[in-house]
Amino acid sequence: MSRLFLPLFLLLLLVLEGVALDFIPSQIIENDWILVAHWLFIFLVLMTLFYDLEHTYYSVLFAIIFGLMVDIVYTNVIGVYMFMYGFTIYFVHGMSKMLHTNFFVAFLLSAVGISVVDFGIYLIYSFIGISQMDSSVYFTNRLLPSLVANLIFFLILYVSLKKKMVKWSKERFDIKKS
Amino acid sequence: MSFFRRKRLFTILIGFIILVGLIGFSLRDRDELSSVEQFLQDVVGWMQQAVHTPVEYTTNIISNINDVKNVYQENQILKEQLARYQRNLYEVQELRKENQELMSILDKAQSDDITAFKSIHATISARSPEQWFKQVTINKGKQDGVQSNMAVITGEGMIGKVQSASQFTSTVLLLNGFDRSNRISVNVNLEGEEDASGFILGYDQDREALLLEFTDYEGEIPEGEFVFSSGLGGVFPKGLEIGAIQEMTTDQYGLTQVAYVKPSADLYNLNHVIVIDRNVITSDEETVEEEVE
Repeated sequence: MSRLFLPLFLLLLLVLEGVALDFIPSQIIENDWILVAHWLFIFLVLMTLFYDLEHTYYSVLFAIIFGLMVDIVYTNVIGVYMFMYGFTIYFVHGMSKMLHTNFFVAFLLSAVGISVVDFGIYLIYSFIGISQMDSSVYFTNRLLPSLVANLIFFLILYVSLKKKMVKWSKERFDIKKS
Repeated sequence: MSFFRRKRLFTILIGFIILVGLIGFSLRDRDELSSVEQFLQDVVGWMQQAVHTPVEYTTNIISNINDVKNVYQENQILKEQLARYQRNLYEVQELRKENQELMSILDKAQSDDITAFKSIHATISARSPEQWFKQVTINKGKQDGVQSNMAVITGEGMIGKVQSASQFTSTVLLLNGFDRSNRISVNVNLEGEEDASGFILGYDQDREALLLEFTDYEGEIPEGEFVFSSGLGGVFPKGLEIGAIQEMTTDQYGLTQVAYVKPSADLYNLNHVIVIDRNVITSDEETVEEEVE
């Protein structure tokens, strides 16, 4: 049963990202700040760290599937989110093997991951001419505000889901072994 | 699963190839979304609507409380306006009757009128979190008669056009995402003179205004004049309010007159919108229908 929880949670986050802008106070938009919700990605980072084992790659698989869904539903260029989510989660998965997983490592990896994902998306979009933003403007107006907003969301998700994630992981992979 | 582990470089390279292929696929001019995309948009759109309804309800309550504070003053102003509207209403009725009579004398059918349109009411169910794409999702699709390229308005003015329609939901491109590939043919009403005509060429992100290029030299046009769609572009009906002129200048070569147009509608607080279905059938549509038959 717990197998179904993860994709359902991811689907819920995908849907919630669409109404995320309703919660943002209008002063931020007037300030020319761009906040981008990478909630799916944060969930995927937590999944990599606390659900996946060293030799399983469920989080990468989900990153590719749900990245594709973000592309289709919210943008009209397919492949950008899919590639960046998949690539970065694979990178986080590799890092998690080397580091001992605790709160600070999770926080740090999320921060690095969000920066990499967002910067990669910016690079690809400016390459195909969708964004014409200057890189210095991009850093102050988009990357930093988005990073802060997403890390706040990370804290909420970490507190509420970490234990559950570990439990689901145990249930799933212990059954397999026995 | 062990495939991921062993051939790391290989996988990343294949990923790159798929990425480039998919981008190429989605960037070419497509008239219709593939059925997979339509299906996904419908499913997610349906869920978005379920989530959006309670969210909208709560945000409405908060804004209602703010509104209550100014009720008395607003009421005074509204009463004044109401009296004026009553007079206007009478005038409009008279004019409409006269217009109808004149039309019948001229033998002009209703379907030839480029101002006529059918309206489809819709609600915004989501907004793209990727803010470089100025697009929102509405809860009406092909089954309700929405087609791509239809104009979308609110009570205040035009907000954009339908970018792609799925069966039950569709995606709307907002005015602040317009570029040279989606121009609007517009008119500016001038007192006592012929209307000035021109094109909306796109949106200037820095000035937060639409760029209007006039076809002829028009002299000074006062600020605050309203800009309407002219119906000559073949896509939108005539007479949709787009915005008001903010500033007049010339383009970078000094040859043509341009103006910055402030959109009338608020593009950030959207809830209920109207999709405009033009009654006149344009020649391309006719040929398409013939082919189908």
